[in-house]
Amino acid sequence: MRVLSFRLNGDDVHIAAPDHWTLLEVLRYRAGLTGSKQGCDKGDCGACTLHVDGKSVLSCLTLAGEVVGREVTTIEGLVSEAGPDVVQDSFDEAGCLQCGFCQPGMIMAARQLVTENPQASRDEIRDALSSNLCRCTGYTKIYDAVEDACRRTLASVDSPEGPAGGAEPRAHRNGVGGMAKLDEQPAGEAS
Amino acid sequence: MLRLPTFTYESPATIDEVLALLADNPGRARLVAGGTDLLPNMKHGIEEADIVVSLSRLPGLSALAELPDGGVSIGAMMTLETLASHPTVRARYPSLAQAVGLVAGPHHRRMGTLGGNVCLNTRCVYINQTHFWRESLGYCLKKDGSACHVVKGGKRCVAAASNDSAPVLMTLGARLVLTSQARGERIVGIDDFFQRDGVQNKVLEADEMLLRVELPAPAAGLHGAYMKLRVRDSIDFPRLSVAVAFALRDGAVHDLAIVVSALAAVPQRMRNVTELAEGRAPDEGLFEEIGAACFGQCHPLSNIDGDATYRREMVPVYVKRALRAAIEGGVSS
Amino acid sequence: MAGGIERKVINTTHGPDAPHGDFTRVGQRARKIDGIGKATGEAVYTDDIVLPGMLHAKTLRSPHAHAKILSIDTSRALALAGVHAVVVGSEMPVKYGVIPWTPDENALATDKVRFIGDEVAAVAAIDEDTANAALALIDVEYELLEPFFDPHKSLVQSEPQIHETDARGQPYKKGNISKNVLLEFGEVDAAIDGAAHVVEDDYVFHGTAHAPIEPHCAVARFGSDGVLTLWSSTQIPHYVHRALARVLEMPAHRIRVIQPHLGGAFGGKSDPFSLEFCVCKLAMKSKRPVKMLYTREETFYTHRGRHPMEMHFRTACDAEGRVTGVDSKILIDGGSYSSFGLVTTYYSGQLLTGPCHFPTYRFDSTRVFTNKPPCGPKRGHGSVQPRFALEIQLDRLATKVGLDPIEFRRRNLQAENSQTVNGQTITSNGYLECLDVVEEASGWKDKRGKLPFGRGVGMAGSMYISGTNYAVYPNDMPQAGILVKLDRSGLAQVYTGTSDIGQGSSSVMATLVAEELGLRLDQVRVIAADTDLTPVDLGAYSSRITLMAGNASVDAGRKLRKQVQAAVGEHFDIPPQQVMLAEGFAFDREDGERRITSQQAFELTETKFETLAATGSYNTPDRGGDYRGGTIGASPAYSFTAHAAEVSVDTETGEIKIEKFWVAHDCGRAISPVQVEGQIEGSTYMGAAEVVLESHDVYSDESHVEAGLHRRPSLLEYTIPTSLDTPEIDARIVESIDPEGPYGAKEAGEGPLHGSIPAVANAIYDACGIWLTELPFSPGKVLAALRAKQGETSAPSPNGKASADTSVEAIRARLAAAKKGKS
Repeated sequence: MRVLSFRLNGDDVHIAAPDHWTLLEVLRYRAGLTGSKQGCDKGDCGACTLHVDGKSVLSCLTLAGEVVGREVTTIEGLVSEAGPDVVQDSFDEAGCLQCGFCQPGMIMAARQLVTENPQASRDEIRDALSSNLCRCTGYTKIYDAVEDACRRTLASVDSPEGPAGGAEPRAHRNGVGGMAKLDEQPAGEAS
Repeated sequence: MLRLPTFTYESPATIDEVLALLADNPGRARLVAGGTDLLPNMKHGIEEADIVVSLSRLPGLSALAELPDGGVSIGAMMTLETLASHPTVRARYPSLAQAVGLVAGPHHRRMGTLGGNVCLNTRCVYINQTHFWRESLGYCLKKDGSACHVVKGGKRCVAAASNDSAPVLMTLGARLVLTSQARGERIVGIDDFFQRDGVQNKVLEADEMLLRVELPAPAAGLHGAYMKLRVRDSIDFPRLSVAVAFALRDGAVHDLAIVVSALAAVPQRMRNVTELAEGRAPDEGLFEEIGAACFGQCHPLSNIDGDATYRREMVPVYVKRALRAAIEGGVSS
Repeated sequence: MAGGIERKVINTTHGPDAPHGDFTRVGQRARKIDGIGKATGEAVYTDDIVLPGMLHAKTLRSPHAHAKILSIDTSRALALAGVHAVVVGSEMPVKYGVIPWTPDENALATDKVRFIGDEVAAVAAIDEDTANAALALIDVEYELLEPFFDPHKSLVQSEPQIHETDARGQPYKKGNISKNVLLEFGEVDAAIDGAAHVVEDDYVFHGTAHAPIEPHCAVARFGSDGVLTLWSSTQIPHYVHRALARVLEMPAHRIRVIQPHLGGAFGGKSDPFSLEFCVCKLAMKSKRPVKMLYTREETFYTHRGRHPMEMHFRTACDAEGRVTGVDSKILIDGGSYSSFGLVTTYYSGQLLTGPCHFPTYRFDSTRVFTNKPPCGPKRGHGSVQPRFALEIQLDRLATKVGLDPIEFRRRNLQAENSQTVNGQTITSNGYLECLDVVEEASGWKDKRGKLPFGRGVGMAGSMYISGTNYAVYPNDMPQAGILVKLDRSGLAQVYTGTSDIGQGSSSVMATLVAEELGLRLDQVRVIAADTDLTPVDLGAYSSRITLMAGNASVDAGRKLRKQVQAAVGEHFDIPPQQVMLAEGFAFDREDGERRITSQQAFELTETKFETLAATGSYNTPDRGGDYRGGTIGASPAYSFTAHAAEVSVDTETGEIKIEKFWVAHDCGRAISPVQVEGQIEGSTYMGAAEVVLESHDVYSDESHVEAGLHRRPSLLEYTIPTSLDTPEIDARIVESIDPEGPYGAKEAGEGPLHGSIPAVANAIYDACGIWLTELPFSPGKVLAALRAKQGETSAPSPNGKASADTSVEAIRARLAAAKKGKS
């Protein structure tokens, strides 16, 4: 057991965890961040993908001790005061969120690509996402989503406001919406 | 979740500290770099350790340096992603860049390192399973048991070398720089690094670590290529892999080297092909002969998923394709 | 059911028209109501739930394929510090099964285990590591029994029995047979024997898994008020509710089942599972909340995947290419338990009788038990396998007759408003348009028979149910119920028992209610799949939700719309039918300037009537043939699909690459076109993966110690496609507007899987003249078939393409064959 000090979604955190825990376990069981999913336990599916120092890694194969002093960004950390990140919004807009379970990892992989190469070709997108398994979509609409995020990112770079803070979230077509289901979870009882 | 066993985690800042931890805990400390091989194996109970020693805080182990003889030295902690896109490697050793660019998927390459891939544990359908699965089987001689299920009655583990880097490094004549507290640095030729035992297919001692990989200067007109048989175009380990290298001078092939891997514990250097090809023109007739020569030397086992007969049949096909690819694109500049 | 009670006839259909002329919500490319929450990580899945004091549970599993349990000693485990409860099978002795006629499962094994991975005991402890440590301290004594891995052996050998008695407590008479169905319609033998062309072949469909990215997970809390709450990653909360009451021997009203967001299912979460009973029992014993999350390996033991089938098919047609009869005999490997097997056995025949018209038909399907993980329903339940065989047979007949495969199918259409040979009622049918669309989109006429050797196009068609008359347990109550409440805030709340498993059913419900009440989607919230809050819906299976729960939604919405129109009409002093509801307003149809907001309209309506809520219900019309099993597979409406595939075959390695799919699917009316496309794309992707990549399999050589062990219990070995392995998919929607569906809608979630597999097989024939009949199409099988073909005397190739006899590949193949012959 040791106290791990690192930067988590912009905050300095100090979390006690046993040495043999992975970063995924620390996030889900200690930090209360359940957006990163566990699907395979051992690096085969990519559902646990998040960023360490801006790079996509598999958190189920990252020992928690490895991130001491580093910067960890999870799917929750992409949301800013301005709302969801452009990649999150593009995924919703493209209609590629079916069960959604692989998508936090997929979006984190896509986020890195859009940052580093907003002019990515379809083949480059396919390559960059090929550690992340999706069982619902056949990937087609995911490519559409990433291309859309790239376009919006490039457009915001060209715009007078510049690229700061990423692209403007697009107005939600359905209004604010959302599901009451979330409220029905025993969130109030969660530790 | 599939859990890791308990252990103590250390992340020293100097190589001396790493070597001290290895020396002080003989056989009970394991090094972790990217973690993409060690951690699944530990979750499966195939590898055990009281101490896991992270190399991530060691400085200076992830750089590429020029050697006086015109070769390069690559730090063991260079990630596969960096290596695959490194301009020097792509220009002078394109088959190496190509091979490490085919390891698993992009996240694994971002995490995984050259050293980790060179030291990758051997793989077998009977070993890369959970403890429950292996217990149901009655274990095997690689871990916890005494029987081999691939070669019935076999006494030597035939788990397969599955690292994409190793066969290419063999065709390039790589040297590995190892170090230990007790004996200091030593240099081992990569052919001598691997041994015919799937339980421990490396001569790396328990107190030793791999520091860097050195490549000699590419020969004039060096061509090389790597071909990997796998089911999916990402994530998968090789079911068969072929690396070729040769110098093409004045329209003739010289010093042909071919290594076939994912067969058994050691990547297998093909015999007689150098002599067969020496001084001849690189045409389909030659490739056919070389393919046939390799076919005769390769005997895939049922240690890897996928029909062994088919994998054997693919040996000449992949050898020929690798030779063609080397001619077409794989030239050192 | 209840003596003397007359069943209420529910007006099941509401017509295809929009409430006010044009649709405002239906057919829009709207976002899903839960999309952004999934993209931001807010969506709560079962494993994301943490309750105060929650324990973690693990399952002890059998290491033997077939064995008697002589004793279980849990005392050492219980003594371990941190262990709070242990449960074994004798504490939950009541058997269950999703099909009430075949209850042959126990929450934990009582007397014997039937496959490697069968559940034996469960432990709840303070954390997963402690629970795992406790499992190692449970001592189980087994007596090994002879296992069955070969379904042919199960067909004939009666001893030992995998299940000693059937559901009625009777010993099985012959073999280890789970179910046999033999049905014959018309004089099949005469129709086939006298036909101009007959094709007869054996086909093998292998086992495949659902492999949703979310593993099974369940959390239970047993409150001090005696109420048991289960959160589970299930697609059938209602059946789980019933099964819990039965097995825990508890009144159902003290049990609540909630399905949180679900990370994919595809049929794999449509049985009650061991972990659901175990967390409940452990929570009751420990008085602490308990969670159990399966590892990926455990999901492969839980399985319920596609049944392996060995199929013998005969199909005949006359000289003009009109099919005269179809005859099949199918051996189904069910694995160790019944699951949905009774239905699977029927579906393997019943769902095949369109879109190709059969004048005569016989199927003889037998499901057997083996000591392997139990099979069940996977997307396209029961019919994907025989569809593979049939659609290849149709192409072979077309070849014999000399007809283009698409033309052959046009000629054999089971038309709209007709009855199939087995008594199913076809209402709408857009299959001809589907054929036209894929023919055009794929460039079929320029490609078929005209591409270079090694490249080809093929097609296949299919039909699938939109729900079925056969409720899983017999009852006369509605098959779908819904409650819509209108709030003074202007919000419509939709309470539905349906399970959104990612297919988007909650968004469909919201869209339908919004359409009826003239609301924007943000003015509708859906509360789904909570047995305390929502009316009963039977669950997400048989592609039933859009049609059934959709009709119930329209039913409830329409009742409320009439009330709103009446109140607003009175307010405007106009006839109710002149009131139009759209975009969050109530208008005077004649004067668009006269309008009030929906919120104001709801207040007026509540003033005029009372607290505003309406239920909606749906029951299927009477359907199906008048014979035993005639209602199984009888659906109110059928979807139709046509697939075209272009493939290339590497004749040197035997590798098949699917270059592209073109898919046209008739979904009646697309409530949400984006979601329909997503279902077409996802189905086609999943089918394509079954052709070449995926195989769920156990070691089956009884003489080896690995016998019965799963070959590939991980997502590394069970190779579902990555982005780099998925072909491009061009999804097209065809709308036939069905009279039975809500606004004319039919299913989209399962139909578009079927044809993807035979279309590839038929394209491979076009590419290189070989018929592959045994899945998966591994490269080795492709090479063997190519060699067998080249071994034939230089017969002309099917499309007049140059035979490959002089190619390098052929020479090499002949050399290899000759070598083999010598050795």
